[in-house]
Amino acid sequence: MGMKGKAIEIVGFTKKFGDFTAVDNLSLDIYENEIFGLLGPNGSGKTTTLLTIATVYKPTSGDIYVFGHSASREDYEVRKLVGIAFQEPKAMWIDKPIDLLNWHARVVGYSGDEAKRVVREVMELLGLWEHRNKYFYQLSGGTRKKVELAKVLIQKPRVAILDEPTAQVDVLSKHALWDVIKKLRDEGTTILIATNDMFEAERVCERIAIIYKGRLRALGTIEELKDSIPRGDVIEIQFDGLLPESLRSELEAYGRFELRSNALTIYVEKGEEKVIDIVDLLKGGGVRVKKIMVKEPSLDDVFTYLTGAKLREE
Amino acid sequence: MGSLRTLLVIALWDLMKLKNQKVFIAMRFAWFTIQILVFARAVSYIVSQVVLQYTGGVEYYYFYILGVYTTLLYSTSIARGYMIADEFDDGIVEYHLSLPIRRNLLAVGRVLGSSISTIIFTIPMMLVVYYVLGVCNVVIVLVSLLSAFVFSMGIVSFVILIVFSMKSTDLTDIVVGAIDSLLVRLSTVFYPLPVIAATGIASYYVAAVLNPISHASDFLRILVFPEYHLIAPYGPVALILYITGFSMGLLILAIEYYEKRLEAGGWR
Ligand SMILES: Nc1ncnc2c1ncn2[C@@H]1O[C@H](COP(=O)(O)OP(=O)(O)O)[C@@H](O)[C@H]1O
Ligand SMILES: [Mg+2]
Repeated sequence: MGMKGKAIEIVGFTKKFGDFTAVDNLSLDIYENEIFGLLGPNGSGKTTTLLTIATVYKPTSGDIYVFGHSASREDYEVRKLVGIAFQEPKAMWIDKPIDLLNWHARVVGYSGDEAKRVVREVMELLGLWEHRNKYFYQLSGGTRKKVELAKVLIQKPRVAILDEPTAQVDVLSKHALWDVIKKLRDEGTTILIATNDMFEAERVCERIAIIYKGRLRALGTIEELKDSIPRGDVIEIQFDGLLPESLRSELEAYGRFELRSNALTIYVEKGEEKVIDIVDLLKGGGVRVKKIMVKEPSLDDVFTYLTGAKLREE
Repeated sequence: MGSLRTLLVIALWDLMKLKNQKVFIAMRFAWFTIQILVFARAVSYIVSQVVLQYTGGVEYYYFYILGVYTTLLYSTSIARGYMIADEFDDGIVEYHLSLPIRRNLLAVGRVLGSSISTIIFTIPMMLVVYYVLGVCNVVIVLVSLLSAFVFSMGIVSFVILIVFSMKSTDLTDIVVGAIDSLLVRLSTVFYPLPVIAATGIASYYVAAVLNPISHASDFLRILVFPEYHLIAPYGPVALILYITGFSMGLLILAIEYYEKRLEAGGWR
């Protein structure tokens, strides 16, 4: 990875809407030909960052470079390199997928005949061909997202920006789309995905930036991020009733823990052994334990460890 | 990609939308035809003889239907511009801003697309008007199409500027609504300039003389009835230069806006 050039350089990027800071002094590099994930819950500033790379927003301060071109000063150069699939599919209710995609193909440079050919090819690949003449309001959320993704696949840009590409897509299609995304990378495109889905991040992304409330919280490969939790295992305990105040300090002796309503998450070493002691401790304190799980940390756990928050609201 | 090709492809966006509005277009056409053939005759009957002195000898019926056609051009251009506001609401502008095209071409392409759509939309109505007027001179038809097109570009640019600076469809509704009703009334589309002068209200007269809608309708009248120049404030060349200046000025402002200020954020 270190040998490769930088596809995107985000340098001290801050974006404010009025007084509200949506992204706060973000700096990170995305290398050529990697699949990079921006992971964070809703409202973290992922979309704001992606739209600024696509030159739709302008930075309040700092800048973003795409293959060396400044998004704020050379916006047209940047747009020629970047293709984006938006979080909210961009269409009016009365539009038809075939018209939208044919137009898109023309705008990104295909001649009329080429456009028809590539549009059909991509629509068939994504299972959209049968929907080509439906009105947008007749399409399911997942199908709308596929139409959005189709734009990028038609364009084959140097840098593809995918904003929650498989949100609303059914599980079977998700796997198919992840393969399509990987194939696009294999054909030479650098891919930047925003997601709040840790499975998606684990399945497709090679490096990940965790952002929360507009700030970068962690950056690295999935292994690096998991290793950043100092203790190896995660114990999750569900219980009834309240956790007595007195148990807190005793629990702390085992490692850092997070308490959210009736669930306890503890970060420990040698989880299999400690879990017995911890359960005894809870029972002794009068807590009725309902369910116990000992597991390897997931990206969700890394996120919770770093921020105290959850990736997705339950 | 050549600039001209880019422009045409962007303009196709609006033409593609026109395809989905066949029913709407047919209804508007039907309504317009009834207005011209029925109501316009009634209006003219009331005023027929008295006004000849005010219309430079042009029958009021003819004066009136060219005015109705001009308001149609105007309101269709406004409606096409409004589609851009609707698209703003649905975030389409973010999509357009992300495309690999220069912003100035995007601006001109959208204005072109909207005004070409306006012309296509209004051609059937224009043909009805010219049929009633008995005009079959190709040059007159082409020149009036061209002037309608230039006028439409100005109005579309105007709406785009309002939409983008308001950044809210509700505000746009109010502002355009207000300007809309004023602009049409303070013009010569329905009342000849000498009649407006006869009211003795100086500001009304000045507004009508400066109003581009007056120029657009008066230009069409002179084109068809050369004797009309007797009561028009300017000759045909001055009228068309005025319309062109109005449209190009607003178009340049719209391009400026797209290039320098337009950002999708903050549209709520
Ligand atoms: N155009 C805008 N105007 C005002 N606030 C905005 C705008 N876009 C986003 N925000 C705010 O910025 C924050 C980050 O939003 P966003 O980038 O969409 O986050 P994410 O994509 O991670 O869910 C949110 O609190 C959102 O409400
Ligand atoms: Mg988002």
